[in-house]
Amino acid sequence: MPATPIAPDPDADDVRAASTGDRLAFQRLYRRHVDRVHGAMCRLAGYDRARAEDLTQDAFVRAWQKLPQFRHEAAFGTWLYRLAINLALMALRAQRADPVTFDAADTLPDPANTPFCAAERAELQAAIGRLPPRARTVLVLHDIEGWHHAEIGAALAIAAGTSKAQLHRARTLLRAALGGST
Amino acid sequence: MSELEWRRALRDLKQPSTPARDLWPDIAAALDATPSATAKHKRRPWMLAAVVAAAFLLAGGIGASLHGRAGQDLGDAATARVTPADPRLRGAVIELDATREVLQGALQQNPDSPLLRRLLARTERQQVALQHLAHEAG
Repeated sequence: MPATPIAPDPDADDVRAASTGDRLAFQRLYRRHVDRVHGAMCRLAGYDRARAEDLTQDAFVRAWQKLPQFRHEAAFGTWLYRLAINLALMALRAQRADPVTFDAADTLPDPANTPFCAAERAELQAAIGRLPPRARTVLVLHDIEGWHHAEIGAALAIAAGTSKAQLHRARTLLRAALGGST
Repeated sequence: MSELEWRRALRDLKQPSTPARDLWPDIAAALDATPSATAKHKRRPWMLAAVVAAAFLLAGGIGASLHGRAGQDLGDAATARVTPADPRLRGAVIELDATREVLQGALQQNPDSPLLRRLLARTERQQVALQHLAHEAG
């Protein structure tokens, strides 16, 4: 049986060039990956767009600094995504006393003027944004990003059981916030 | 909404999101202000080796000389700068000062290097011993 050809990594050349200081190569990596990183930052920041932009910038600056340590054992996108999330978790943990500001309800899209699915999604995002930071972080990492409790526990320096408890709490609060319609 | 639909709705939130503005100009400015680790790594091998070799040669030679002359009587508070009358001690003072400056400069480039920290600490101990010796010699 012939071996399945391995798809070339579209980032490989740019990663090598950027790790030797090629700024243009790093800019190309930024263009290819910024949306994925920013999406994750938005979710972790409770859809606080300004905070998400700051976290995204920090992630790329840190990636530039750490690029020489990248060992090509994982795809660059995966490495960058984990680095960004870990950085965001540290930042959000450091600002625990200064919780993320949430969108006021009156700034949310008017459901009557928004397609059903988009309105439902906006409502869900707003409700996630209003969760307590720790519960939100666990919910985002588990139910949206697909992490296991052991991974979450390691990233947040909490026990896996604590992660489970936070997830249960987050889901309960979320259902309540959505009016029990779920 | 069923449990399945609920889970799917959450999973569907895992979408890329384009920032409202181009973040690259700010990132590029931050990169200008923050040298990449690449540059630091490039400097490290020869610089670290040169500094360590110089420190070992200077501090080792002076240390042996001090040990022969002053034994273990190093003292710990002889930090006041004394210009020794003995030209050999004056030369040692200059060499230890130079070694210390080189090590401090290297530590600014490699602040996490335990080897450089140990060498700097040893150099400082030898400076104290030398000052003590010079003080005793008048």
